[in-house]
Amino acid sequence: MSWLSRLANVLRASKVERDLDDELRFHIEARIDALVAKGVARQAAEAQVARQFGSRLRLREASRDVKIVAWLESLLKDVRFGLRVLRKDLVLTAAAVASLALAIGACIAAFSLIDALMLRPLPVSAPDRLVYLAYPTYEPDPPEGDWFNYPLFQRMREAGRQHVDLFGISSPNLRTAVFRDSGGQDEQVRAQFVSGNTFQQLGIAPALGRLLTPSDDVTPGAHAVAVLSHAFWMRRFGGDPSVIGRRFAFYDGQFEIIGVARAGFTGTEPGRSTDLWVPTMMWRAAAFGPPDGADWSWFRIFGRLKPGVRAEQLQAVLQATFTTFRQEWARTYRPDAPRDRIERYLETPLRVHSAANGPWSQLRRTFERPLWILAIVVALVLLIASSNVANLLIARAAAREREMSLRLSIGAGRGRLIQQVLVESALLASVACVLGLLIAAVVGPAIVNMLAPSTDPAYLDLRLNWRVLAFAGGIGLMTTVLFGLAPALRASSVATMGVLKGTGGRVSARLTLRPLLALQVGFSLVVLFVASLLLLSFLRLTRVHPGFSQDRVLLLSLDTGVIDDDEGKARVAALQLLDRVQQMPGVDGAALSEWALFEGAWWASEVRISGREPEAFAPSFLAISPGYLETMRMRLLEGRTFTVRDTEPDQPTTVIVNDAFARRFFNTTHVVGRSFGRPVGRRAATSPVVRDGLLPQEIVGVVADAKYGDLREPAPPTVYVPLRGFGTLHVRAASDDPLTLAPILQREIPRELPALRVTNVTLQSTLIANSILSERLLALLSGFFAIVGLLLAAIGLYGVLSYGVVQRTREIGIRVALGAQPGVIVRTVLAHISGVMVAGIVAGLGGGLFLARFVKTMLYEVQPLDALSLALPVCGLIVVAVLAAVPPARRAARVDPVVALRYE
Amino acid sequence: MMKRHDSLQGALPLLVLKILLRRGPLHGYGITLHIETMSDEVLRVEEGSLYPALHRMEEAGWIKARWAVSEHKRRVRMYEVTAAGRRQLEAEEGRWHAVTGAVAHVLKHA
Repeated sequence: MSWLSRLANVLRASKVERDLDDELRFHIEARIDALVAKGVARQAAEAQVARQFGSRLRLREASRDVKIVAWLESLLKDVRFGLRVLRKDLVLTAAAVASLALAIGACIAAFSLIDALMLRPLPVSAPDRLVYLAYPTYEPDPPEGDWFNYPLFQRMREAGRQHVDLFGISSPNLRTAVFRDSGGQDEQVRAQFVSGNTFQQLGIAPALGRLLTPSDDVTPGAHAVAVLSHAFWMRRFGGDPSVIGRRFAFYDGQFEIIGVARAGFTGTEPGRSTDLWVPTMMWRAAAFGPPDGADWSWFRIFGRLKPGVRAEQLQAVLQATFTTFRQEWARTYRPDAPRDRIERYLETPLRVHSAANGPWSQLRRTFERPLWILAIVVALVLLIASSNVANLLIARAAAREREMSLRLSIGAGRGRLIQQVLVESALLASVACVLGLLIAAVVGPAIVNMLAPSTDPAYLDLRLNWRVLAFAGGIGLMTTVLFGLAPALRASSVATMGVLKGTGGRVSARLTLRPLLALQVGFSLVVLFVASLLLLSFLRLTRVHPGFSQDRVLLLSLDTGVIDDDEGKARVAALQLLDRVQQMPGVDGAALSEWALFEGAWWASEVRISGREPEAFAPSFLAISPGYLETMRMRLLEGRTFTVRDTEPDQPTTVIVNDAFARRFFNTTHVVGRSFGRPVGRRAATSPVVRDGLLPQEIVGVVADAKYGDLREPAPPTVYVPLRGFGTLHVRAASDDPLTLAPILQREIPRELPALRVTNVTLQSTLIANSILSERLLALLSGFFAIVGLLLAAIGLYGVLSYGVVQRTREIGIRVALGAQPGVIVRTVLAHISGVMVAGIVAGLGGGLFLARFVKTMLYEVQPLDALSLALPVCGLIVVAVLAAVPPARRAARVDPVVALRYE
Repeated sequence: MMKRHDSLQGALPLLVLKILLRRGPLHGYGITLHIETMSDEVLRVEEGSLYPALHRMEEAGWIKARWAVSEHKRRVRMYEVTAAGRRQLEAEEGRWHAVTGAVAHVLKHA
């Protein structure tokens, strides 16, 4: 029947129905008339005819089913029937829904994370007209930088005035604020310094009070005003409108709250939620004018393109300013600066990127690849779960083959049977989708918590939106087709007669199940392979010895108040502090360094060695107090460590270097007594020991290599210089639980030295763990999903084998009756899946190696083609497969021939 | 859909085709009457399966139907054989004779 006439039938449903009724009524009446003519009483004739016809309604329905597409009605019936069938097999249904829901939930969570972190447009007006500026960078921080200094910004803002409105926004760092209502308690707030026209250019309206304007951002240090984010206002102040006009202590000053930005705007940094904004002019005064303004790169430059201006036009305009600025700056370079570095610096192109969905933030850089890998892993798990459900549905459809063929032979259309099975799978899928959304609502935020340390949390808006809903709907539809189509097509190709006779109709079942099973084995191997690569790599990373002992080391940040203003006083006070802390009970060593290793801070400087060409390569530097190397358990190879004498002002030249430095610059470890020069800035150049802008550095000791801030990289060539003042206090505890020492130190330190206050306490081990957060996230999640995938594959194998044994009960019975040993029976059963396993493993390894190329940059000292990387997942899979095969194989071995042959 | 003839099981379609071919256009009731009388009331048509069979044969293109008015001025649906139906009948009939002949042969000589 053509589609057109079907459509016509549907539209003319009432007429067609009347026609059909007419035909049947004629038949029934004619039959009654005939009986009456033969002498049967009319009433008895009617009763007899009614009996013959059965229910007239049923007759009508059966006829119409074939010809007329009463589609909606049959759909409703199928839904009811499907629900009944699903309810009947409650355990099977629950298992199918649970595994699907888990996989779908994981997919939705992965999508909403990727969406929130990378794809979603900024919540500002016309985000597609926003741009931000960047430039390529080189070691040690490629590939791109987007931090600028104020003098350059000022020039570019003028130069681009015809094309763009530029505005600067600083990094959203956590900073300390004190609000009066908390009784002087420190609070960590995420604050951004922004240009006065920022809100205007982003199109953000106030929810309360007023926002910053260009007039709030004119004179350095003169605009102590702040705007709160709506979320912070609600969280911290409960939406109290009287916050306007309140003052709070922040960044060395008293700021006045002038307004609250509209709800939903949390800043321009994806992954971070800003609490308050203050004008750029309130940043440290030195950053604005000569001589040092250009030393500080501390904000991103955003811009809104003027109507009709394209990003390329703007690039051409700003590039000129950018290059001119760099040329002027290069003139201040030392005459012996390496040529290649100067050329690279001058030829750097300026890039204009779209800021429609925010700048390429640190969080994005770190997690872009891990999140995509995660997405692939969960998509594979979804495929495994789908094929599992398909297997279960096929097995069940096979059990219902009699029912199906009966329905076929009494005239049910094949389309109708397909529809029946598809409705069943759609029911499964939609229940799983709803559960999946719930799972995602739990899993998503849990993953966000893993993206950043709890002391500096990430924020992603994972609230349900239409994008996520559309994705969930799409996934539901896809899975329905994925696991519904195979069973549906199979159900409709039942060979009617064979099934009714109790033979046949089964070969095709095996033929459909096998490729599905191989696919499943393959997918779970891919997931297992990738997960084991990531897990192995993470385990190796956690076992990397950093070159110092991180155990029991407590790190305390100090607020030193006014002491730091006087270098001499600070030096003495710092030594005094160390002396006191070392005397405290439970302390096994104390030292200071300018900052903690693995904190993220870095100091690198070029060096000049007589007899060697100047190099652009810059070794790392760290300022440390006496006792630091001992406290950190760094191994001294040669010479001596620092003493109090080295910190004295007339001793500016002693340094300790590590082995890598000695080898890199002197080709030997024995460098005690050698010296080199370190170029110093204009300020330090007044020191009497500085010659030609070079501070002489005399090596007094050599220590074994220690990592600085990256576990993956070999320890960088490092120079340790004496610290003359305060920094991060390192305390090695005597007990295994160093945190018990923290409250004691927090109490005792201000008692010993009243000017000091402990602001923050953490562990050295925490900082190291935080440096491999993305690896940890990936290892944990992919490991979890590998187990889920393996479990699902095992269930699939078990189900298919069990089904095979049930199907072949008669055959097995005959074999046993003919004298086959249980071992032979088990082997025949297993032979059934060995081909599938081999095909699956080969396909899985192929897929895994393909995917491994994508994962490779995340790996540490693990190669995809290592024997271990290959053997681990394959062996794991085989063990699980054997375990899954044991129960059905045992059942087969125990088949009682008498029972089996009497069956049917 | 392929293999559609699979679902037209048994002898009913064969008889319907044969009778329609012999007697020309008939309504459903007429078909049952003819089958019954011609088989001396041995074969009774299940009304419940006749109409589904008719509609499926119609869908398969073996027969076609149209509305007409009976001698008693009733609106009736008349069925008649198409060319495809005629070919189908020949094939089915041949097979039927082969099978029944074989069975008869076995019965006679066993």
